[in-house]
Formats: sequence, structure tokens, C-alpha cells
Amino acid sequence: MPRNLLGIRHLTQDDIQELLSLSADLKLRIIEGREVPNLSKEVVGMLFFENSTRTRVSFEQAAHYLKMKTANFSAGTSSMSKGETLKDTILTLRYERLNGLVMRHRMSGSTALAARYFGGPVLNAGDGQHEHPTQALADALTMIERKGSIEGLQVAIVGDVEHSRVARSNAWLLSKLGAEVRFVGPRSLMPSHTQMLPGQVHYDLRSGIEGVDVIICLRLQKERMADGMLSSITEYAAMYQVNRESLRWAKRDCLVMHPGPINRGVEVDDVAADGERSVITSQIENGIFVRMASLYWVFTGDEKPSPPPVAKAKAPKAATKKVATGGKKK
Amino acid sequence: MRTLLKNGRILDPSQDLDIIGHLIIEDAQVAEFGPTVDMTDIDEVYDCTGMWITPGLVDPHVHLREPGQQHKETIVSGTQAAAAGGFTTVCCMPNTEPALDNPAIIDYILDKSASPEAGGVFVAPVGALTVDMKGEQLTDLSALKRAGIVAASDEGFPIQNSAMMQQAMEFCVQLDLPIMAHCEDLSLTKDASMNEGAVSAMLGLKGMPRSAEEIMVMRNCLLSLHTGCQLHIMRVSTWGAVEMIRQAKYLGAPVTCEICPMHFTFTDEAVGEFRTHFKITPPLRTQLDIDIVVQGLNDGTIDCISSDHSPHASHEVEVPFEEAPFGHAGLESTVGVTLTMLTHRGVLSPLETIRKLSTTPAKILRLEAGTLKPGETPVAQVTVIDPDCQWTFDRYKTFSKSKNSPFHGMTLRGKTMLTFCGSEIYRDALFPDARYKINE
Repeated sequence: MPRNLLGIRHLTQDDIQELLSLSADLKLRIIEGREVPNLSKEVVGMLFFENSTRTRVSFEQAAHYLKMKTANFSAGTSSMSKGETLKDTILTLRYERLNGLVMRHRMSGSTALAARYFGGPVLNAGDGQHEHPTQALADALTMIERKGSIEGLQVAIVGDVEHSRVARSNAWLLSKLGAEVRFVGPRSLMPSHTQMLPGQVHYDLRSGIEGVDVIICLRLQKERMADGMLSSITEYAAMYQVNRESLRWAKRDCLVMHPGPINRGVEVDDVAADGERSVITSQIENGIFVRMASLYWVFTGDEKPSPPPVAKAKAPKAATKKVATGGKKK
Repeated sequence: MRTLLKNGRILDPSQDLDIIGHLIIEDAQVAEFGPTVDMTDIDEVYDCTGMWITPGLVDPHVHLREPGQQHKETIVSGTQAAAAGGFTTVCCMPNTEPALDNPAIIDYILDKSASPEAGGVFVAPVGALTVDMKGEQLTDLSALKRAGIVAASDEGFPIQNSAMMQQAMEFCVQLDLPIMAHCEDLSLTKDASMNEGAVSAMLGLKGMPRSAEEIMVMRNCLLSLHTGCQLHIMRVSTWGAVEMIRQAKYLGAPVTCEICPMHFTFTDEAVGEFRTHFKITPPLRTQLDIDIVVQGLNDGTIDCISSDHSPHASHEVEVPFEEAPFGHAGLESTVGVTLTMLTHRGVLSPLETIRKLSTTPAKILRLEAGTLKPGETPVAQVTVIDPDCQWTFDRYKTFSKSKNSPFHGMTLRGKTMLTFCGSEIYRDALFPDARYKINE
């Protein structure tokens, strides 16, 4: 089985640590103008069945730094619009000899299906409401840069948790690295059964963000009003907006994060989004480095099962994987 | 032609009979059975030591997909699968293309199922309750009944409008026709694909709340109580639905219900990493539901077991979970799964197992089946089951065209060995000289 990045839920703590230290290392190399790995032999397909600007650009940029070639694919102009099934599309790309896939699709679990038929590495760039692993990695890298470590942090994820893949991936990652996660939002936008998700549920913003180190705001989709899940934007903003007043309940040095795109005046106000506690721009920038790390990680992954985690667990520093710059190691 | 089934355990729930003995089939009819029978002039002998000799099994809920969806299943392949599963009568559901909403299509199905290529089992069609199952206009139920339907149903497109359902029930009372109802409030299950619970929350899939099923079970039970229409509820999955049916029966409503093996075998955790074979409606629920459902089977609240045979082509199920169709192929695994999960665990006695698989469904739908009494069925309908045969279910070794089985790879205890419907129509490979279907 090739190595995939389908979700954070499947990763071990060591996998996540390895990805994050790789990301930090690559970031430093890019900033200092040093050499980064050369994956120029690899061609990666960019399959975005759902609209995306930032994730797509970020992956393109990451592939560019690694000198990979990208093959673009958009659902509207492809044979999918002629009625081809997803399985056949994936099989076609496999025999077009693409080496890897970055895929976004509106259905949960669709990247797992793609991985079953593709035969090479598949990176999930967002599947339905299931997972968005590279966003969670970008957020984690940003938190580590500002807070030193994830362990022991209190993190509130505020908003439409039920329909958010970002919330799920972040919750898995943060809890695996020892943070305490809180889900905050109205009952109508919260899953009714959360016992298999790693976090405490709060329906009240104040109790939810009281004393937290990080607030991750989620985007509120306008369709939720049409589905009758919310009465009005104004009411939602009055109850759950992260703003000048509500930020007082969190820790003084609390970080404000948002995966974008932002609905200003809905889930955050300008003070929260642009203020000194906001790290939204760092999230975007770090997105490139974690995507570089992810591409590197899946393309150089061993086919063998990884060695037992004993040595890594003893000295976490040892888990830091130095990047081999000589191209693909195998 | 005299065939002797020798030394088996004869289980006939229609006579509360559970004895060791022999059974003789002569000229396509059960001639006699009992501890001692006339063993002269026997042409063929089957040693049934350690096996059960039962009335032919009756499946109240099967999709044969013909006309219109022959890529999933045909009447020929579906009835062959039925024979291999031990069923001698199957009720076929109306959600075909076009739907079974006019007498000509019923004629077509009856002709096709009686053709020599078909599996040799009886097919009892279930007609559509409304035209094209749209829930807008009732079909000509009296003409459909004359054509041979045994019940009416809108299957996966349940009538949402209560006034419409009430009208349908009034008509069916007059025609003495049972209504089979799939219970789902569609407004609560829009875009949903599995049980609403911890697993759906984790996987990011929209869930079907249990209330969607229970609201409709309750509504249909109340309408049945007040109109007096015989109501058969298909595929019960929640503990609440079981409790409501228990209550409806207590109040005297003419209500019966069935369960399919998926719902007493798996919980929603079986969906795992988006496995589409485990997508069914109503969805797989939780362990609590299984516990109460099993209790309902044990105490008789749940009247019978159906395979809910819903075949789909492979290309239709190898898609993202939300796109996949509901249902699984079940005819050939039902006996094995039922015996493994219920009989061998002491939930149902052997006699009760056969009652739920044969006598009760025949009684609910007033079929001439479900009994070994000579002369009570048009031809001999006998199934021989080896209750202790251990085997691994392999979906690629089935007669059904469809391979979407959640039971693939499962080790089962209990297997159909012989099926007679008039003549022998199925003999298991474990018997010497195994073959499928003999046309005399």
C-alpha cells in the first residue's frame, strides 16, 4: 500500500510529529533560501471536484517549491460531466501514469475510495464533511510557532461543527498531540452524538471560550439559513461571534484562527480578524509548508510498516526527520 | 416418482410439529411424513440425518428488479438465488421500471417466473399502492388483485401524506389486501445515508434520525388501528419502533412486522471506512437496538424474517458512500445468518426459526405455503437445512447477479441443502452429485 494522507484520524502521534517537524524544517529552508528536496520526477494530479482557491493555490505552490509537475483537472470540463464514475476517472488517471493525487470532493469518504483504486499516494484536500488534514496541520504548525507546543493547550472550535471537515481534522490532531478541545456552537449546528469525536461540547460561547489559548472560528455557510438550521445571521452573530467583547473571556494571549474564507461580521468581527491576536495570515502561509511536507511525506513513504515507535517516543526530538535533498529516497 | 427424505428432524410450525422421522414426496406432493412411513417403491433417497426437514421458506420482501433493472437482477437469476437460499415463495417488490402499478406487468412477472429457465419457485408480486409510487393517485388495486398481487406497497417511496395513506388503507380493507409499509419520514432523511449517531458524526455523513422511522411506524399503526387495514411493517430497525408495534398489537391493530438479518447482525460501526455494502434503509443502528430487536424476535413482537434482497450492480456500489444505493443481496445468506445469530444463540428455537422464515409470512400474506400438510400447498414445498454445517459465505459463488453482500467472508453455521418445489430445484454442493435444478 502506498502512503496516503486521507485524514488525521488514521495517523499516529509519531506521524503527526514527523509531518510537523518536516514542515518546520522546509519552512526554514525556504526562508533561508536553502535547498529543498527535488521531486521533479513526480507528476501529481490536482483533482478539485469542488471549488477551491486557497487550498488549490497552496498545493500548487508547494508542488512548485518541490519542482513537481502538476496536472490540473477540473470537474466541469472533465469526462465526469459526461457521466463517468469517480472510480473510472481515478483508474484513468492511474493509467495516465500520474504518480500522486491531490483531491477535493464534496462527498465524505470519496478520497478513501480514490485511494483504493489509484494505487499511488492520495492526499485529501477536503472530502465532504469528513476531513481536511492539511488545514489541521497548517493550524497546528501556527500554534506551535506561537505557543511552543500543542500539549496542554485549550482550544475552542467555534461555529458550524456539524458540517465542518476542518473541525474534525483539527480536533483529531489537537487531541492526539495532547491539547484539550472544545466544540462550541448552536445545537442545530452541532452533531447530536459526539461521543466518538475528541472534544467537549459547549452550546454557550462564553463557557466555551473561557480561558482558552486558541479559538478556531469556522465559516458559516449561508445555506444553513435556507435549511432552517438558523433563523438569521444577525442572531447567530449576536450569540457566537468572536469579537472585541467575547475575546475578553479567553486568555489574554489567545490566538484567533480561521480557515477562511472569512465572513466578516458573521463569525468574526474586524477586531478579532485583523487584531494582534489574529494569526490568520500565518495559517495561510504555513499551509504551503505543511503541504510541501505532506507531498514529500507521501512520496517518500516506505512501503514497509514504519519501525516501532519506541525510539521516537523516548526522545521526541529524534522524531525530527531531516530532509534528504537528493530527490526520492527508496 | 417417490422421493424419500430419510431420518431428519421434521419441523412444521403450522402443526407445532418437531419430531424425528421421514418424509415422502410423491408426484410433486408431500405424500406422508412421520416416524414410520411406507418405504416401498422408493426411487430416490436422501439421508437427512442431523438435518431439518421444513416447509419451503417464504420471503415476504425481495427485489427481483425486473422489468427495467435487469443489470441488477432478473427474475431468472433472482428465483435461482431464492431456490439456493431455501425459499420456495418470494414476494417481489414493486419498485421496478416501470413500477408494478398495472395488471399487464403483473402478468409479465408471473409468466416469466413460471418459465423453465427460472428457479422454479413461486413469485408472489406486491403491487404499487400509488401510480408510479409517486404518492399522488391510487393504482387500480382491484384489477391488480385480480391479476395476482398479494399485497400493496410503495416500498422505498413511502406515502408521506397521511390523508392519502388513510384512503389507501380504506381501499385495501375493502379489497382485503394487506399493505406493506416501509416507514420513513422523508423530510427527516433528506440527503442522509446512515444512522444518525456517533459514527455518522465522526465520518461527516448526514444521519437518518431514529425518529424518521418511528414517526411513520406510529402513524401507520394508528391509521391501521382506526381503519382496520392489515398492515405489515417492513424492516424494523429501532428499539422505539419495536415498542410501538408492541403497543399497536396490544391495542388490537392488525399489524405485523418483519426484520432483515442485517438489522440483528450489525451496528452502524460496521460502516467503518465508508463501506457501501453496509448502506441500508432503515440504516444499521446501535447495540441497544439490536438487543431490543432480538428481544422482540424472541417474544414474538417481530413476526417474521425477510432477506430484504436488494441487489445492485457492482458499478453502482463502488462509488462514494453518499451516492451508493441502499440495500444488499440477501437471499442466499439469510438462512445461515439467521441460524448463526439467532437459533444457535438460543434466541429462537428451531421451530420458531422456521415459523418466522416460513409459516408466519405465508399466513400474513395468505399464501398457500408454509406448511407440510399434504394437499394444503399446490405442490410439495420442502426445504432441508443442515443446522450445523459450517461454511464461509462467498458472494462470488452465488446465483444472484448482484455481489453486494455485507456477509462476504463471514463464517456461518447452518445452510440450505435441498429445496423442493414440486420437484427438486436445488441441491447443495455438499451432497454427492450436486447440481442445480432438475427439470423433469
